[in-house]
Amino acid sequence: MSTLIDVSSSRAAQARLGKTIGETGYRILQASAASLEVAALSLGLVNGQRFAWLLMSPAILCYSLAVWWKRQLSVLPPQSSDLNGRLSVDVLSRITTKTPQHPLGLWQAISNHWQANFFLHHLLLVDEVVSPHLSTDSAELDQALKLAGELAERNNSPTIELGFVVAGLMLASSNFKQQLVRMNIKPEDVEAIANWLGRNLTESRRVKHNSGGIGRDWAFGFTPLLNRFGYNVSLNIEKHNAHFGWLTESSGVVSMESALASSTGAVALVGPDGIGKTSSVYALAQRLIEGKSKQGMAYHQVIALSATDITANARRQGDLEQIMLSLAGEAAHAGHIILFFDDAQSFFGSGPGSFDGTQILLSVIQAKSVQMVLAMSSNDYQRLKSSNQSLASLLTPVVLQELPEAGVMHVLEDKAIGLENRHNVLVAYESLHEAYRLSGRYEQDEAYPGKAIKLLEQAVSYSEHSAVTASSVQKAIEQTHGVKVSSAAPAEADELLNLEDKIHERMINQTLAVGVVANALRRARAGVANPRRPIGSFLFLGPTGVGKTELAKAIAATYFGAEANMLRLDMSEYQQPEDVKRLLSDGQSDTMSLIMAVRQQPFSVVLLDEIEKAHPNILNLLLQLLDEGQLTDNSGRAVSFKDCIIICTSNAGAQTIRERVANGEAIESFQNELTDELIKSGQFKPELLNRFDETVLFRPLDQSELSQIVSLMMKEINQTLSNQNISVQLTPAAVEKIVAAGYDPRLGARPMRRTLQKAVENTVAQRILRGETKPGDQVQLDVNDLEL
Amino acid sequence: MLMLALEFFSWWYGRGWKQVASSLESRLVGVLNSFSVIQLLKTLFAPWRRIITYPGASIGERFKAWGDNAFSRVVGFIVRTFVLLAAFLILIVTAALSLVELIIWPLLPPAIPILLVMGLLG
Repeated sequence: MSTLIDVSSSRAAQARLGKTIGETGYRILQASAASLEVAALSLGLVNGQRFAWLLMSPAILCYSLAVWWKRQLSVLPPQSSDLNGRLSVDVLSRITTKTPQHPLGLWQAISNHWQANFFLHHLLLVDEVVSPHLSTDSAELDQALKLAGELAERNNSPTIELGFVVAGLMLASSNFKQQLVRMNIKPEDVEAIANWLGRNLTESRRVKHNSGGIGRDWAFGFTPLLNRFGYNVSLNIEKHNAHFGWLTESSGVVSMESALASSTGAVALVGPDGIGKTSSVYALAQRLIEGKSKQGMAYHQVIALSATDITANARRQGDLEQIMLSLAGEAAHAGHIILFFDDAQSFFGSGPGSFDGTQILLSVIQAKSVQMVLAMSSNDYQRLKSSNQSLASLLTPVVLQELPEAGVMHVLEDKAIGLENRHNVLVAYESLHEAYRLSGRYEQDEAYPGKAIKLLEQAVSYSEHSAVTASSVQKAIEQTHGVKVSSAAPAEADELLNLEDKIHERMINQTLAVGVVANALRRARAGVANPRRPIGSFLFLGPTGVGKTELAKAIAATYFGAEANMLRLDMSEYQQPEDVKRLLSDGQSDTMSLIMAVRQQPFSVVLLDEIEKAHPNILNLLLQLLDEGQLTDNSGRAVSFKDCIIICTSNAGAQTIRERVANGEAIESFQNELTDELIKSGQFKPELLNRFDETVLFRPLDQSELSQIVSLMMKEINQTLSNQNISVQLTPAAVEKIVAAGYDPRLGARPMRRTLQKAVENTVAQRILRGETKPGDQVQLDVNDLEL
Repeated sequence: MLMLALEFFSWWYGRGWKQVASSLESRLVGVLNSFSVIQLLKTLFAPWRRIITYPGASIGERFKAWGDNAFSRVVGFIVRTFVLLAAFLILIVTAALSLVELIIWPLLPPAIPILLVMGLLG
């Protein structure tokens, strides 16, 4: 067995001695040195020189050992570039000559260190899962230590930290990697956690930057008014030792600093909500207060102003303008203030608590007397450009770009540490992935990383056993959006597997259509469906009154929980080219647009009735919707339809269906033929028909099915009457009569409800009013009782 | 044990002594930063906290503004000078103590047995 870690080296011996002394030993040595020195000095003064020398000797020994421990043994800086010269003190101090030099042996020696627990906790693992999968092959240890060295280099760490060795052990073991996959953990996550740990270690060793000293602000003016109305971001960062890490060096922050130093000194910080505009300004504030500015803005302070606070302090007409002018004047006079207008649109008279300070801002910027950052969304910036060109032209735009996935994960990792400390919970790594994934899918109105952070914060409330897991994130999104994203529970899975029966409780026959739809719902719920398209998209073809709408309602009720989760649009009302605009209205002019409805209720069945009557431009939009799962409203905001089931209905081909079913043909046998016919006749374009998951034919209902429909409707009537403890039954002859009266070959079963209302409800109502029927009665109606 | 003792002496007269020397520099820089020495020197004659009077149109107002501003500069100069003097004093003390530490440092290990022998022999 080859020896990889040299336990007999002087470095290893120092590490072990350092561990033996420990923090407690160091304190004892310090205290002893101090006490002995004091005693020696005291004795020296009372002429006990001999004893003074005797005491000084151990005092110096204790002092020397304490200094050696503090500066050398406890940190053990790297000695050489090879493995033994770079292994951290934490690793070396835990290995003795008795430690077996193989992965399992090393793991057992180091697994009780907090860095090992950092991996176990964030991967939701326990030692009992790790140990059995690590080998006793020393060749694998060699591979593990090489990986650890590579991780240290990638993290710019001079020493190979214990955490990197843990990651190396996990990644070098094929057995353990297989176990991770079985537990639905990606091996890449181990490396990501190692990098996360590396960043934390670097952060913890960060030397506090010089923030200017006692005379820093003596050359700048006092800011009493700004202190009253604003929030001094810089001083608060300094006070709380807040650190924005890599963000202080990000391109957005560097661009902002350059823009402030040049030209008018006014920056429009543009980006959607959640992209990090406020954090970027805070990072800039940290950069400046630490004197890092290369643009002559060292020790400048950022003061945030809120329109609401200013408005709340204005009592009379003209107060607002006066306050704004005074604030700007004070900032200009102080000479080191950068004004930060978060939600700048509220200073342009837009939104609640806002006022129009455009003219004041214009004059201040033109005078170039104060540096300022105005944070706003892209839309607000465009609106400003069109409404106040002169002000917009004076602002230097700095547009923040959305972070890539790796960047968002870094932000979430940093956030997780804060959440763990604040809420005393453990944030599992899987929850970060889930927060990224689910916020991307369900939080359309915000950008990364803000939306993922928000979801992760919400997930803390759903932690189980003090751990925030993927399931906590799923519960948070289910609670806030009313959608099902977690794995189906056994009861729900059972219901999904028997979905056809559930739908047939309210739908008579149409087994083909019900089966097709049930399969689509099962695919979506099991996570097998394409997540970039709607849950399902169907074209229902068939005569009127055969159950097309009823099936759509049944889906809304069974899958989304209530019939109310159905958005129904009659496409015959969208026959003109200008109707496209109405459909895509962002809600400002038409609150009933499809876009608005889906934005408010994103988990719905969208039923587009009589689709063939819609304008061709609308059908083109439908192509986009079915392809990409989203539409863009008039103001450029995307709305997701990925959680909708799209159902289009049409009576096209109804005559053919009726005739061929009457001739005894099975509906499946002529489906393709009918589709071709519809394309040839120009009623549907082939590209549209191909976009649907399924084209479903509904066949006309026969006499027995109509009788069953009557029975279903009678159940609904009895449900209503159950409040009065009355039930109504129909004799078979009565049912037959109602079917005969309620069936219309052109309208199918549609007149049935009206007929039943007339025949049964009117009759029962009169009996109740006449006192012939009382609570507790069971009423049986025969042919002669019906009022038809 | 012998190896550890050798390591101790090797560190004490090598890296350890260098650390004492470099800590001298960092302590001095720390004092300069804490007292904002560079900033204060750059703005030695600047008005105190920018408390200034903007000149008016008339000669009298201009003269008064000049007088006010000159007073503000004098106040600024006095405060800064006192702080700079305090900084230089602390700088000198720090440098002296650090130098003493640098000189005494190599004497400490041999002092342990020497003092012990001196104590025992009386």
